[in-house]
Amino acid sequence: MIKQISTIALVAIAAIAFTGCSGEKKATEVKTYKYSTTEVYEKSCSKCHGLNGEGNVEKKTPALNDRTAGEMAQDLFDVKNGGTNQSSGTDHEIMEHNMQKLVDKGFDYDINSMAEYMSKLSKK
Amino acid sequence: MKKNEILEEILNEVEKHPEIMSRREALKYLSVSPMAASILAGATIGASSVSASSAKGKIVIVGGGLAGMSTAARLNNTLSNADITVIEPDPTSVSYQPGQTLVGAGLWDAADITYNRDDFLPSGVKLIKGSVTAFNPDSNSVTVDGSQEVTYDHMIIATGLMLNYAAIKGLDGVITSSGTDNASVKKTVGKDGVHSIYFRDGSTATWEGIQELVAKAKAHKGPEKLQAVFTHPNTPIKCGGAPKKIMYLVNSRLEEAGVRDKVELTLYPNGGKMFGVPEYHEAILQQYKDRGFKWHYAHNLVEIDTKGKVATFNHHWTEKGAWDEDLEEYGVELKSELVEVPYDFIHITPPMKAPDVVANSDVGSDKGWVPVTKETMRHVKYENVWCLGDVAAVPMGKTGGSVRKQYKVVVDNLVASMEGKSLPSKYGGYTVCPLITSIGTVMLAEFDWSKKPTPSFPLDPTKERWIWWLLKVYALKPMTIHGMLSGRA
Repeated sequence: MIKQISTIALVAIAAIAFTGCSGEKKATEVKTYKYSTTEVYEKSCSKCHGLNGEGNVEKKTPALNDRTAGEMAQDLFDVKNGGTNQSSGTDHEIMEHNMQKLVDKGFDYDINSMAEYMSKLSKK
Repeated sequence: MKKNEILEEILNEVEKHPEIMSRREALKYLSVSPMAASILAGATIGASSVSASSAKGKIVIVGGGLAGMSTAARLNNTLSNADITVIEPDPTSVSYQPGQTLVGAGLWDAADITYNRDDFLPSGVKLIKGSVTAFNPDSNSVTVDGSQEVTYDHMIIATGLMLNYAAIKGLDGVITSSGTDNASVKKTVGKDGVHSIYFRDGSTATWEGIQELVAKAKAHKGPEKLQAVFTHPNTPIKCGGAPKKIMYLVNSRLEEAGVRDKVELTLYPNGGKMFGVPEYHEAILQQYKDRGFKWHYAHNLVEIDTKGKVATFNHHWTEKGAWDEDLEEYGVELKSELVEVPYDFIHITPPMKAPDVVANSDVGSDKGWVPVTKETMRHVKYENVWCLGDVAAVPMGKTGGSVRKQYKVVVDNLVASMEGKSLPSKYGGYTVCPLITSIGTVMLAEFDWSKKPTPSFPLDPTKERWIWWLLKVYALKPMTIHGMLSGRA
């Protein structure tokens, strides 16, 4: 196996290795959404979580207005990606399913923007 | 540390395993390879520049592991009037945790990964050998060992996380990876076929456990296979690849002994995939198939009978539920059942959590982890509080590779905020998992929050390569110990 050393690979690696530029994404992707954050919340999220993010006991949906934007961003990342770790799974199995359906219906959003919006709900 | 000393350290590592690569071969590759030159440069003169600042302020760093100590070193290099205090109770806090996989597989000894905190304390940085017992962010202070008040202008939280073995019925203990107060865990883990590389003593015991498994397999008769079980819990974990790495290494050791056919190797992860990045998920699935591994998703270890050698998992799934008018779709219902799995050897990846002192304080969060704006690493509520490493609430982090990116972001942003400037630096979620797939090969899985591979090198990142084994086993430790802990690499 060692004998298969490829000079090309080594030189290529050496050109980049550990110069401090590794890993950073060069290209920035600009994603556009069908609805604004406010529209997504008012047309979709609010149906189950309430217009003020107060949650709905009958529907067993949690409140969304009890967390900071940073905490909410974590939860939204978990929900949208089916977990934040390699094989740990998600804390939100039901919402993971629902979110996929909602994204398919066009209710997609930027996580940071939505977390910021939700964190201000109770203060309205 | 000088270049030739680091080179010598790499060659010493190589020499321990001439069957994988001889010293002569390694020296040849290292001397012809500019890669080696750049590693040495990174560890000695610094791979990225630090600009000097005369900003003033008292900085307290809670935790002196890799994250805390590297941050202390880099701040110390940056600030001409540095006033930095590190609070750390564990004398071996800077030990090289990524090496625990290799200790578990019998490739390294515990001595190879044990490093002393006091040897890595940067010159001029103060050390308090104690534990923070309370955070008082509204009065800009922490309490040490219940009595000593330590005030700060800026605080960096780098406590690391706790291995919560006690959360599994039948096990006990909530410990750190390098702490020696682990007697409660060792009552049941590290013997009788129950193993865990996540703490240092446990990794040493794992190698004994693997040798016992090999011996048992050699003596084994009959058509029933021995069962080797590998778990992955339902919490975020440090080094998300390690539960699989140790499985690959057990496989290597069984193959080497000619008894692979006597043992069934099965992964029981709580989640429903091998990896969050689709390309790596697919690559790992193929590696599993090629090796004849089995796997059962959505199984979370909840109980273990170490006498009867039976592990109990909560197996969970969703079923189609009632029509949901608001969703305009059918909803789903959660279902679960307990599944008993007999084992001859089990590797446990424990549930993990933030230390209680963090979780229950104002700097913690509902899930314990310290909530930060994940791009800037600044606390979401307290502008003079920063956080990095395992205790930070950032998705997919909790690796030394994440810390290597995070500590530069924290230093850049903290110094800028001390100077009254806007925050210049953003973390993009980069992390790296050098996934050991056999003795001699590694898949270098690099990725970030885009959930796409972000390879540093122009090679297909889904392929297993010996060159990454060279990087993982021989180069990353000197880079970490001499480069990061001096605040440079």
